[in-house]
Amino acid sequence: MNDAVADLRPVVEARNVSKIFLTGTHEVKALDSVSLTAVRGECLAIVGESGSGKTTFANMLLGIYPPSTGEFFLDGELLPARRTLPLRRSIQFVQQNPLSSLNPRRMVGASLRLALNVHEIGDRPGRKARIGALLEEVGLPADFAHRYPSALSGGQRQRVAIARALACEPEVLVLDEPTSALDVLVQARVLKLLDELRQRRNLTYVFITHDLGVVRNIADRVAVFERGRLVEQAPTETIFEQPANAYTRSLIGAIPVITDDEEALRRKVMEETSAG
Amino acid sequence: MNDYLLDIRDLKLAFKNYAGLVEVLHGISLNVRRGEKVALVGESGSGKSVTARIILGLLQELKSARISGSVHFEGQDLEALALRTRLALRGTKISMIFQDPTSSLNPVYTIGVQFNEVLRRGNPDISERDAEARAVALLKDVSIPEPERVLVSYPFQLSGGMNQRVMIAMALANEPSLLIADEPGTALDVTVQAQTLHLMRDLVERRGTSVLFISHNLGVVREFADRVYVIYKGRLVEHGETAELFHRPRHPYTRALMAAVPRITGGGIPTISETDAGFTDPMIDHGVAS
Repeated sequence: MNDAVADLRPVVEARNVSKIFLTGTHEVKALDSVSLTAVRGECLAIVGESGSGKTTFANMLLGIYPPSTGEFFLDGELLPARRTLPLRRSIQFVQQNPLSSLNPRRMVGASLRLALNVHEIGDRPGRKARIGALLEEVGLPADFAHRYPSALSGGQRQRVAIARALACEPEVLVLDEPTSALDVLVQARVLKLLDELRQRRNLTYVFITHDLGVVRNIADRVAVFERGRLVEQAPTETIFEQPANAYTRSLIGAIPVITDDEEALRRKVMEETSAG
Repeated sequence: MNDYLLDIRDLKLAFKNYAGLVEVLHGISLNVRRGEKVALVGESGSGKSVTARIILGLLQELKSARISGSVHFEGQDLEALALRTRLALRGTKISMIFQDPTSSLNPVYTIGVQFNEVLRRGNPDISERDAEARAVALLKDVSIPEPERVLVSYPFQLSGGMNQRVMIAMALANEPSLLIADEPGTALDVTVQAQTLHLMRDLVERRGTSVLFISHNLGVVREFADRVYVIYKGRLVEHGETAELFHRPRHPYTRALMAAVPRITGGGIPTISETDAGFTDPMIDHGVAS
């Protein structure tokens, strides 16, 4: 975690963002006037259960589809519905399942090269060295560039997906459940990598997950979504030590834990629920 | 003779492919007593689900599978049973709950039709009216409000949590002596998962059903099981009563696994060494107080 977040201007800002989906006969309000900011170098976690609107929020931040009402800002500039190339480059995406987010017919190096080509990063001869350096930055040997995703393990694939996002030299990474499909030992290593990258590159993370154990240890701040509404946001420690919202408390109370200390914390949170 | 409901001895499994034999289980021995909840915990590819499938006799049907060792259920060697007898155990004395409730239920039949099928398997002579009354009662047991409405619904009309409850009710409908739960509720939200898990625990405890609980989630295992086996790459590495194992894990693999789970009390992202040193050390058995 970042102890000192030096630059307090928001890198990402969502102002009264709503999204309504039309499903034939009726409207579904997936997101209901959400306002959120993340400052430079910060890891903002968005937690909530399925249907809470966290992925809808991510998709709109990425410009995959526009909000029904409200705006997004990057470094104080309004993000248009149709993103220009430099804007797309600034906000990058790491998805849950690298097996479906990486092109199976393309070698790892080619996937990274595509990102460099599209955004015209570096000159042609320099790109090969850059691909090697990116792979090494995420803890993979440079010669993995000549492998297909199918020849990699789940953790290695997710590292490639992270390298692909970094290839664009973004300011913001949107991570949608980046470690949920991984085994716990692999998850710990990938989380460590993400934390190191954020500090080294001063990246801003919008970290979407349902795993509160992960959130506790990687996020600076937490936003809790429930059925499209932002019900609580606070620094990570506050969310876990003094959650103000009943839904937040029920989420914490439902986590399966493995130590007595965690169980005590959970019990404390739940008792406050029944008392309040 | 022993009092084990399920007794697996030196179970080995290999798959034959073009390159030769791929060994999946290297001789695992585990047992479940009557009324006991036993967990088999490990990462993906460790061999936990194939173990469940062997108990049900599902893998034996595969031509490429090479299986040795023994599986005794209620004192009978399952391999020695006639195929018919063995198949008759499924859904009656042994039942199973799978990971994703919505895809385990048939989308083109109502819950009522599928429930009726389950009940007829236990008692072929059951009348339609009795079956419905029994289904309603069983759905009430898993705290489903308006069971009559659920019976005329299709699985896709119900939430994941509701479908999971339906699955639990069906699995327990014929009062099996052994329930195999393979990653139950992993596909569900945490709050729903916690509710259904508590519900399942209360039900099996009340009925004295034994459970073999297969999971990768240490937290869930700790809350559910009386006893735990840890499996790594087809070998059991540690075994003990739940409290003992979680308080004093001794095998390097178990320790690494537990260290890797991020704590809700904080402490930072766990540091995991890049090596797997000691993971293949011999099994550590804490023994069980009897």
